[in-house]
Amino acid sequence: MRKKYLIIGFFSLVIFLVAGFFIFLKKAAANSDAVTFTVKISVCGNDEKEYGEDCDNDDFGGITCQGLGYSSGTLTCTAACEYDTSGCVSVSSCGNGSCAGSETCSSCPADCGACPSGGGGGGGYVAPAPVTSVIFSGRAYPKSAVTLLKDAQIAATTVAGADANFSITLSGLSGGNYIFSVYSEDNKGNRSSLLTFPVSVTAGVTTNVSGIFITPTIAIDKSEVKRGDNIAIFGQSAPQADMVISVNSEEEFFGKTISDKDGIYLYNFDTSILDYGTHNTKSKASIGNQLVSGWSYLVGFKVGAKSVAIEPEKKVLKGDLNSDGRVNLIDFSIAAYWYKRPNPPVAVDLNNDKKVDLIDFSIMAYYWTG
Amino acid sequence: MKKFKIQFYAIIFAFSFLFCLQAAQAAELKLNAPASKIEAGQQAQVDLFLNSEAESINAIEGKITFPAELLKLKEIRDGNTIVNFWLEKPKNDSSGSIVFSGITPGGFKGENGLIFSAIFETIKSGVAALRISEVRALLNDGQGSAAALDISPLQIVISEATSSQKPVAIEVGDTLPPESFKPEIAQDQNVFNGKYFLAFATQDKGLGMARYEVRESRQKIFSFLYGWKEASIPYLLADQKLKSYIFVKAVDLNGNERIEVILPRHPLLWHENYLIYVIIILSLIIFLILWKISRGKNRAKIY
Repeated sequence: MRKKYLIIGFFSLVIFLVAGFFIFLKKAAANSDAVTFTVKISVCGNDEKEYGEDCDNDDFGGITCQGLGYSSGTLTCTAACEYDTSGCVSVSSCGNGSCAGSETCSSCPADCGACPSGGGGGGGYVAPAPVTSVIFSGRAYPKSAVTLLKDAQIAATTVAGADANFSITLSGLSGGNYIFSVYSEDNKGNRSSLLTFPVSVTAGVTTNVSGIFITPTIAIDKSEVKRGDNIAIFGQSAPQADMVISVNSEEEFFGKTISDKDGIYLYNFDTSILDYGTHNTKSKASIGNQLVSGWSYLVGFKVGAKSVAIEPEKKVLKGDLNSDGRVNLIDFSIAAYWYKRPNPPVAVDLNNDKKVDLIDFSIMAYYWTG
Repeated sequence: MKKFKIQFYAIIFAFSFLFCLQAAQAAELKLNAPASKIEAGQQAQVDLFLNSEAESINAIEGKITFPAELLKLKEIRDGNTIVNFWLEKPKNDSSGSIVFSGITPGGFKGENGLIFSAIFETIKSGVAALRISEVRALLNDGQGSAAALDISPLQIVISEATSSQKPVAIEVGDTLPPESFKPEIAQDQNVFNGKYFLAFATQDKGLGMARYEVRESRQKIFSFLYGWKEASIPYLLADQKLKSYIFVKAVDLNGNERIEVILPRHPLLWHENYLIYVIIILSLIIFLILWKISRGKNRAKIY
């Protein structure tokens, strides 16, 4: 009887040790692979001042006209949740003759002069119709093109500033759930992976989506590299960002570098530690441990007996079935034509399994550009 | 023998425990109904949700089966769905099953992502079990790897009708048309033998999309003479010379419509446009009538 309990106890211990080991493995994997990027979504019009808003209706976060450098007055909040300082009064000295305080042409014509005459009578105030819009802001690459997709179709484009910051306002929306995505294109024409976020838009309010950090672009200089030679891994991100480069084989290797003032990074990876065969690389960026991007696209290369340089013109985006440089609804339509049909063309069968099914569409969805 | 039994049970227990640990990390596809108990003769809404957990999922397919003797499928609503493009739009196949398949470019990562809602009418008392089968969710990893997926079926308890009340429809105010969209003309050697086709898609943020219709007309003014044709993508264009105005109408489940127009890529030359001849002939007729009238008046003055 005692022996039986001992055996049960022993097995229970083994189970919990094995379980603990798996939990540890999961956590370790999560630590190495997990992408922790934060996109903050705030809703303008919910009476609560949130990240990215100056104010929200009556909530100014303790800020008053005086706090903004005015002498007096009443601070109000615009429909876009920005300060409206039209009711604030500056410390005016006009001619400094007299009438101290917040003097104006009407309150102190002696010092400030007469107010300009003219102008007709005003009409009644018509309140502007509430606007349903979303403001997207974050970082891409210096002077890069940023594309915003709404439900997988291009909705707006902009160009990021020299500091890599961008902002896009999208209006004319209905209230409802949207899938928004952003990507950027670097100075060599390489695209970042899609950064996607579901947003619930409320009719009549402005929603702010801030803290977006677009994933870096990535490219390599060789499709095949002689074992022991270096392979150049490069791309673009925000300026002075800490770049982590991962080379994923059976064992994952990490390298670190810092992007330059133009956001360009280059890492020469010594392949002598890699086995012969196929390997993948990807990169991600962080700024001050606060902004962390997602992983870039995965780029594959081979370690072999010779080095083969990549010819730039041979760059073809996977999923671009009609070779127009984009992966969009037209490519989806072409693939949809062959969905579950026999003998699909090689160009449409993205995973070469002689059929067009959900897997081919999943590959296309990953490389989507809109 | 006894020792072997204990070891056997311990191993089974260990594997079950580890499986549960694994399952806790998996994405979840679940059926949800606001009310799990309902009277016969009433309407019940069942939502299909995706919880992606830590994964990003960009493609999903599956089948929902329900007892057709207990539930009658009235409508499927895809308003506010996380699926951007349907490969197989969920529809009632009248055999007690709903098949669906679609993608979300860039992937969906989040909780309670609505895939679609099914509106049922309960027929008689009983326990209606709704099951999810043949399901596949794929990761947004560029390879179409399968995501680990937990499935949560649903049971609806249908009680006898206590009143002779008519079924109360589950209404959602939807007065807005589908979202604006941009249809595109394309051509590819692998589709329709290289003929021109049309690609279009939009979303509805109310009840959901009902259908698309296409009309091609070389005359914009008289386009109403040409009928609408129900369409899906890719849509083979009838006018391969691209001389027609192409109207694409998106209709939502409440009948709200949005029409987008593509101008002809090769507009008709003036002498090809029979509208010109109609205008010339009409002008001549009017001129002749006026001339006759004025001539009649002049004769009357002379006499």
